[in-house]
Amino acid sequence: MAVHEPEARQSYLVFACGSSWYAVPAETAAEVVTFPELTRVPGAPAHLLGVFAHRGEVIPVVDMGLLVGGASQSSRRAVLVRLPRGTLALTASTVAGVSPVTGTLDPLGPTGVHVHLRGPAKSGPRDVAVIDPEGLFDHLSQGA
Amino acid sequence: MGPPDVRGMLLCHAGPHRLAFHAHEVAAIAMPEGRDAASARRAFHAPDGAARVLVSASGGAVGVDTLEIEAEPHPLLPAPPVAVAASGGSLRGFVLVQGRLWPLVGLVDFERFLRGLVEGE
Repeated sequence: MAVHEPEARQSYLVFACGSSWYAVPAETAAEVVTFPELTRVPGAPAHLLGVFAHRGEVIPVVDMGLLVGGASQSSRRAVLVRLPRGTLALTASTVAGVSPVTGTLDPLGPTGVHVHLRGPAKSGPRDVAVIDPEGLFDHLSQGA
Repeated sequence: MGPPDVRGMLLCHAGPHRLAFHAHEVAAIAMPEGRDAASARRAFHAPDGAARVLVSASGGAVGVDTLEIEAEPHPLLPAPPVAVAASGGSLRGFVLVQGRLWPLVGLVDFERFLRGLVEGE
């Protein structure tokens, strides 16, 4: 399995969902929002909490805790991850800010969403899972 | 250029959840008794039930709890790919009515999706 050093010049937005910490490339993290009451999407799995309208765009909210097979988080805050194909809102109970990440960027698992979470990596003293935003977007857009 | 407008919709509820349909896709509105309708509540992981049934021209039927006719035009906002995938491709977009988002679904495709949920159980 290939081992890569994260690019030192790259900064990440580091945030927590419950007790787990995540990092997304800072250039994809558009803003941190408090989202309003959500509209449920018909057929949505549990981790897709719903959608809300933000500046003329309908944005899906993904509960990172449920997505990785853990517990739901009741946070109304989310990190907006903006990609050329659309935007995702990832729930965040705490936002630590932008910082470098050290470590490796290997998939944390062989299947499912864990393919798109990379590590082991650290942001300061914290263990973080580095999110591959494009991979996560593809994974969710395939009905996962 | 802004998003296209949708004119003529049925605004429905399945339990507490909102759904919208193009009015022109609904050939008839019927009572649920004696009809083999797919309950829209299935899409929200709730037990089946319906107070009214929307019947398509091809005879397919979807049960909902409430409905009202919305004649005014409203902009159709594109559905994110994540949401389209979740609804089995039946989601056409979202309309903003009364300050709330309503998922606009195609009646025939949505009925097929609901029946697939049951078969997949």
